Amino acid sequence: MTAEPRLRSARSAPVQPGDGPGLGLMRLPAFWIVLATLAAGGARMAVIAGRFAGAFPLAMLTATALFALLAVPFWLFVTELDFLEREPPALLVLAFAWGGLVATSVSIPGSAALDDLIAKLGSPHLAADWGAALAAPTVEEIAKTLGVVAIVLVARAQVNSVLDGVVYGAMVGLGFQIIEDIVYALGAVALAGRGDQVEPVITTFLLRGFLSGVWSHTLFGALAGAGIGYLVVRADRAWRIRLGVAMLAVLGAWASHVLWNSPLFRDGLGNGALALLAVLVLKGLPPLLLIVLLVRAAHDREADYYAAQLAELDDPELITADELNALKSGSRRASARWHARSRAGFRARTAVRRLQRAQARLAVEVSRGTPDLSRWCHEVRRQRRILAALGHPEASAPEGKGPWRRTASTVFTTALAVAVLWAAISTLGGG
Amino acid sequence: MGWAARRQLINLLGALSLVGALAGLAFGLPALDRALPADRPVSADRPYPIGGGVTVVPPPGARVDVTETRPTDETGTALFRLGPVRYVINVQPFEGDLAAAAARLRERITGTTGYQVTGTELTIATVSGLAGLQGGYTAPGRGGRYAVFLADGRTIEVTVSGADLDLGRSLPAIDASTKTLSYSPEAAE
Repeated sequence: MTAEPRLRSARSAPVQPGDGPGLGLMRLPAFWIVLATLAAGGARMAVIAGRFAGAFPLAMLTATALFALLAVPFWLFVTELDFLEREPPALLVLAFAWGGLVATSVSIPGSAALDDLIAKLGSPHLAADWGAALAAPTVEEIAKTLGVVAIVLVARAQVNSVLDGVVYGAMVGLGFQIIEDIVYALGAVALAGRGDQVEPVITTFLLRGFLSGVWSHTLFGALAGAGIGYLVVRADRAWRIRLGVAMLAVLGAWASHVLWNSPLFRDGLGNGALALLAVLVLKGLPPLLLIVLLVRAAHDREADYYAAQLAELDDPELITADELNALKSGSRRASARWHARSRAGFRARTAVRRLQRAQARLAVEVSRGTPDLSRWCHEVRRQRRILAALGHPEASAPEGKGPWRRTASTVFTTALAVAVLWAAISTLGGG
Repeated sequence: MGWAARRQLINLLGALSLVGALAGLAFGLPALDRALPADRPVSADRPYPIGGGVTVVPPPGARVDVTETRPTDETGTALFRLGPVRYVINVQPFEGDLAAAAARLRERITGTTGYQVTGTELTIATVSGLAGLQGGYTAPGRGGRYAVFLADGRTIEVTVSGADLDLGRSLPAIDASTKTLSYSPEAAE
């Protein structure tokens, strides 16, 4: 363990362990109100979907399938952010549904009205240039942030670190992004005026899903969610400071969204693929870097906390010192799995992953003060035995092994994906 | 009040505040929008910029609806109202010929349930020399006219709609206005 991560982790909000969600949440009025809100949002979006499905059935089916597929890697990535204390799937679904059903159905009339108000109080020119940059972020960021607030109202105990706020916020943003993209794709089909064609859907999928997807609503939602997480967790700070930080985070999400939608650099960097890429990076990179730093700090804080819980067990059968070190970092966890695969095969890699999950779950149960840990200890020991039988008893990689190969693999895959994407967009005439 | 009951009350108030905030966005903003007038008087003496370098001289007595008017460098939409008659001009980038532009507009009109294109299309031209096609359409209780022009990779779509009686009164002034459509590449920069 080095001193540097400790310092970084100490700067973020502490972890406050909470109990797992139970049927008790059904006794909360907020549970039923949030459920009713989801049902209302679902009904509203079903009407819109029905209209599109009636007019453009093939395009609707294609858009739904493509964007549902796109949601899968995003979902896996977001859930993986909080490897140590994974969020309950039901709450992740709730967050996703809030973004896709409630935030969207509220944002459609709200953003349109605010856009009109900009035209009425300003001018049609102002609305044409800045309407999309001001109206949509204002309504959408509030509606999405309310999704994280809904999670807090329904399951306060499940928001016990800033990272939890990031995960729920990102999941609300992901739900919003996917449904909005489907609506945009079908809007493009209608605008093209060539009937039930899938080409506008595919162009929208490539442009909005891939090219803009990385720094879109998932990112903005994560930033706002971090603020709500801080507001909830940082009980040791004065109320006005917590509220101020939360508002700053939501303002940051709003500002990132405004920058993304703004007409700035619209014509400033010339024409062509490189100019378009430069504008995307210029507008999208600042919030992306901000959230990466935020997630890293929050993750380190949480990792230190749960590592300390496991260290107290002082049982190398449950976790060794090297495994403890590996468990604290996503990169070192991946290196350990990579090392296991190269040394003892795919089954060893799977066993290391399961062992890491079991150790993380054990840490959470220890932090909750669960009196009987035998169930969790048993799972750790079971995976340890599998590893031992495969001749790879410890789930860690020697220092310096693994990362460069994974980095090279990631860079190559990303470059290939960008090249394929670019070729596809150019073929479709979107570049 | 016990701790549990107080917790329930706070939870209820929190949830109601949440719903209140959502209602403010979904219903409050549209209500505020509806409370403010959307029409503005517009001069019939000088060209009005539609967007994408296209201008038109509005008909006398027309008012521009700012909620559906969005001029930009590349594209643009303007909605003028003459009483109950809507006069919409839409400028979009387009790669194709005049017949394809007219077919696209016809498809969008007939895509609305109950709308049918009537009669044959006629060729028309503006004072500035833009060539176009013009036709009519009908719907239950309403009628309308459409026209399409091409200008430097852009399509200029004109649609006029209203009740038959109102249309009859307004069409001469709208036809005169449509003839003033003009495209200037400098204005699009």
